[in-house]
Amino acid sequence: MKIIFLILMTLIPLNFAQSAKEKEVVNFKNIRDVLKNDGLLEVDQKKKAAQNEAIKDEELKKRKLYNFPPENDFWTFFSEYWLVKNATILKWDFRKPDYGVVKAFTILLETLGFYEKKIKVLYVNTPNITHYALPSNPGEYVFIISLPFIRTMDLSKLEISLMLLEDLLRIDEKHFLENIDYKEVKKLFGTNFYGDKINEKIISDLLERFDLQIFDKGFTFKQQFAITKRIDGLLKSDQKLWNTYYLLLKKIDDLVKSNIMYQKHLKIYPSPEMQINWLSPPKKREY
Amino acid sequence: MESLIKLILIFSLFFSPSILGKKIRKNIAFVGYYKNLFGHIHKNPSRYSISLSTIGCNHPIKVLGKKGSPTIKNDFYHVHVGPYKGYLKINDISKKRVKCYQNKYPRYFDHINPSLTEMYHWGKLYDLYNQGKSKIK
Repeated sequence: MKIIFLILMTLIPLNFAQSAKEKEVVNFKNIRDVLKNDGLLEVDQKKKAAQNEAIKDEELKKRKLYNFPPENDFWTFFSEYWLVKNATILKWDFRKPDYGVVKAFTILLETLGFYEKKIKVLYVNTPNITHYALPSNPGEYVFIISLPFIRTMDLSKLEISLMLLEDLLRIDEKHFLENIDYKEVKKLFGTNFYGDKINEKIISDLLERFDLQIFDKGFTFKQQFAITKRIDGLLKSDQKLWNTYYLLLKKIDDLVKSNIMYQKHLKIYPSPEMQINWLSPPKKREY
Repeated sequence: MESLIKLILIFSLFFSPSILGKKIRKNIAFVGYYKNLFGHIHKNPSRYSISLSTIGCNHPIKVLGKKGSPTIKNDFYHVHVGPYKGYLKINDISKKRVKCYQNKYPRYFDHINPSLTEMYHWGKLYDLYNQGKSKIK
């Protein structure tokens, strides 16, 4: 019995010593110190930071895919989309000779001091529309001209250019955009729709408003007055240009009064007769 | 017999794919990229000519000709795109990759989701536009 007791007494301290050693091994403080001394902790921290940054970058890239175009990058694309959607109504896919209108128009723009203006002219083979400028990005202009209208009126390059100048000024004055309600799209300009969806109705509604503005609504008297006065101011220094513009308005006035096919023109651009009056010098009163 | 084998060997060498590849590469003036949203490879150098294929923005195009001097006909480059050899307007090809609308706003473009017919018309639109720019003299 005594012997057993002695053996036990000798074993207990040994056991204690062993558990103390074990604790020493599992002591994380010691490991941390070693890692600190080796610089491994810093490496690990750097690795984690790089990983976090990569995740953030990827997330940013993913978010960037969902950017909605800002206003200055929206209109040209959308106007072209409208042209594509209305290809069959507008009938612009047809053969025609090059009338040299673009060259004549750029010369006119340069003479009047309109520089760095990118212009795109598309001829349509329908009398439904006579001439129009569609909303576009800053410095760019998308024009539509009706070939039947040009032929019926027998317009010269300069006359067409003056007509396009009116359209260009309408775009600069934002008359088209004033006339269509686009506040829902305006809210989206330059935003990000990650995790969301664009309401399909917003785009289809905007297309419908384009239709309405181009085919039915047109411009107001107030807007027409502003454009006529602006052109009057621009052309007054060049008598030849001013006279051509004046005669052009007379030609259009005659056409809309005599040809039923073009009576809608009055609704879109009211009215050539008034424009002539606005341009004409005030009559002196006779006493 | 020996001479016949020699002939066959020479003939096969002449038409071997590597040599044909080299021949095609020799005919490439440069590799360009299509600039507009969509466009057409035309059969002949005219904007009204039949469309062989519709391509999208940044599509790589082998412009044919001698190295450094491409073949030009009526303001059109002679090009090789995929299986088609046709013509593309000079102004529609860039020597560097371009920032395309589709790549700038990919999800918005997906939302617009133009159909095949619309893509065809979009290409036609760029063919039929008369374009210009006013400059300071």
